[in-house]
Amino acid sequence: MTATNAPAVSRPRPAPRHPALVTARLLRLELRHNAMLWMLPVVFALFWLTTYRKTMAMPPLWNLRAVSMQSGAILDFITPVVGAAAWMGSRDARRHTCELMRITARPRWARLLATWAATTCWALGYLVCLAVLYGMTAHQASWGGPLWWPAAVVAASLPAFSALGFAAGAQLPSRFTAPLAAIAAFFALALSTQLIVGSQSYWQVSPVVAAPWDLGPDAGVATFYPYLPDLAMAQVMFPAGLTIALLAALALPRGSAGRRLRAAAAAVTAAGLVAAGTAVALAGTGKLDTHGMIAIPALHDAASGRPIRFTPVCSHTAIPVCLNPAYSGYLPVTVAALEPLLSEIAGLPGAPARINQAAAVYRQGIGNSVSIGLAGQAISGRPPVFRLLLPAQLPGPAVTTSELAAQIRSSAGPEIVSHIVGAGRSPSPAQKAVVAALLRAPGLPRPGSHPGHTPTASRERGELSRPASVVAPGSPAYAAAQRFAALVPSARHAWLVQHLTALRAGRITLAQLP
Amino acid sequence: MTADGVGKVAAPAERAAAARRAQPPAAGVRLVRLYATSRRVPAAVAAVAACAIGLRIALAWPWDSYGALQLPLVFEAGSAAAITGITASRLGDPERVAGRWLPFLRLATVLALTAVAVSALAATGAGAHLAGGTLDVLRNVAGMTGIGLLCAAALGGGLAWAGPTGYLVVGVYALYTQWHHPALTTPWIWPARPPHDLGAAICAGLVFTVGMAVFAVRGARDPADE
Repeated sequence: MTATNAPAVSRPRPAPRHPALVTARLLRLELRHNAMLWMLPVVFALFWLTTYRKTMAMPPLWNLRAVSMQSGAILDFITPVVGAAAWMGSRDARRHTCELMRITARPRWARLLATWAATTCWALGYLVCLAVLYGMTAHQASWGGPLWWPAAVVAASLPAFSALGFAAGAQLPSRFTAPLAAIAAFFALALSTQLIVGSQSYWQVSPVVAAPWDLGPDAGVATFYPYLPDLAMAQVMFPAGLTIALLAALALPRGSAGRRLRAAAAAVTAAGLVAAGTAVALAGTGKLDTHGMIAIPALHDAASGRPIRFTPVCSHTAIPVCLNPAYSGYLPVTVAALEPLLSEIAGLPGAPARINQAAAVYRQGIGNSVSIGLAGQAISGRPPVFRLLLPAQLPGPAVTTSELAAQIRSSAGPEIVSHIVGAGRSPSPAQKAVVAALLRAPGLPRPGSHPGHTPTASRERGELSRPASVVAPGSPAYAAAQRFAALVPSARHAWLVQHLTALRAGRITLAQLP
Repeated sequence: MTADGVGKVAAPAERAAAARRAQPPAAGVRLVRLYATSRRVPAAVAAVAACAIGLRIALAWPWDSYGALQLPLVFEAGSAAAITGITASRLGDPERVAGRWLPFLRLATVLALTAVAVSALAATGAGAHLAGGTLDVLRNVAGMTGIGLLCAAALGGGLAWAGPTGYLVVGVYALYTQWHHPALTTPWIWPARPPHDLGAAICAGLVFTVGMAVFAVRGARDPADE
């Protein structure tokens, strides 16, 4: 080999000068060596076990599932994210490489920021969970679209959790910092909700609160009226401010950055704290609105109080039953529950021309109790329309289809019949007997029967008309009711057509009942 | 040296045995002390004490049914995570090769710390209502410590806390399902079972035993990065 054909001496490739490329390379290195990557299987398993299964067991309503997802995802992610971030934040101190790192070209703050960013990027694996859950819901839901504000609250909270853990790890570097920070964060977030009393509570700024506390995910919310993003806005603002403050605070210690940068960081820290404090103050001004969501006056958009326009889905029964399209899955059971009664009363004077599902009205009670009911009369308008509140619109445990049908019959049936017969607060014995007889017809609840469960929130209607259907066994009204119920439906219907006006006026006696 | 003298020289094995017999008891104590120091055992005890104090303060607060049940579990998980914090070692292979007593030291340390944690947390119930009582504390701390030790063997001592803290979320959720059915009733999620439930106690005990055995024999997975 001569000097002419000897290979050229290769020189080391110069490092890229472009700051963005350098930052991207640093971020890539941090992503490859990040503890949060190891936490992802844990997080996905937790999400599947505690949130996905629970949420997917709910009816395919966007409002229910989005609210359930928000609370669940927050609790699933907080311990792994805070712990992993604390572990990464304390890395240099644990490895005793602080002195070594101090002589690198990048200031300490910039290096810490890259590590935090990598941790947060992995934490945003949450988006995979969100995509799966929302994708499945989109496949199943009959109406509506995804609610993005609950998803945004979680997405904004994860960087804050990461910053919180990272700051703890950087300030108190120890092998015990990560677990203790994770446990402390979980304790603060999960159990601080104990302090929420009523809708005007500062603690509602906690991202785990997705709906009026102790009411939880409620199917009646955000179907007839738009989802109110007021509380979610405050809940996004709070962690965003906290994240900015915590990250800027990392630059405050001497040696973390240059003098001017530290001064700027102090200002940014203050701004972040102000933003977080403002969010807390705003959450404290929240109030339960009549549509079941927390309205914050300073963030409220009056347009969100307008009802959503939709085309109801209706049955082809003698009296049509029409539901909000979000609840179209409930139409068959509702129709099956009411059809025997509807075919009995169709064509009678005063019978409703239509059964329409109505929006529930929410009122804050004492403490965290919320009353849910209908505003105004159940039957109104010309031609009369019966406004139906489905049991699914009320909070309560999941029920079977037969239990649901029983609940619909026992709540709507007596009200419809009482209205037709004119059985008000003090019905006549004949009115009582006819109501009881109609409710004894096949497929209808027996007088005095109760729904399958008692919702935690109280209902406000139906209580007035229910006594009309109760007749004491052995009484003359009971005997008359049995006699009337024993008639064939066509005979009963013909008698009612002929005598309903007199019955409503209270001019029919028990003896006159066939 | 003559041939007679050669015959009187003791074999190396005998020499080592003689040296061991000659070791003063202080050497054993020193070994334990060095091991405890290298594993940050005093800091772990402090962390367990902090959990107990935190629980005692929290018990003074009026909690609703949810909170009263979930509260002890949070601090039990904290104690278990602190115990698993001692599994990481900075010494690595040299210690594994030279440390003949290492499995016994690991075993003894974990057992002692678990006993300290159970005692400290159970003591907080004195004069206050501790949901589940001492049996609950014993079962939960032992079980979650076992999970942490298994995590140490699988993930490394540095990330062993992921086990107890992750299981905390599962436990809290299982307690939540006691009100919101369908309830999670498997004994493998023992925090949701009553304190006297035999199946839950067996599961927790099994996890603790297996975790301790694996950790004692193999130690944590890591070449620790501290």
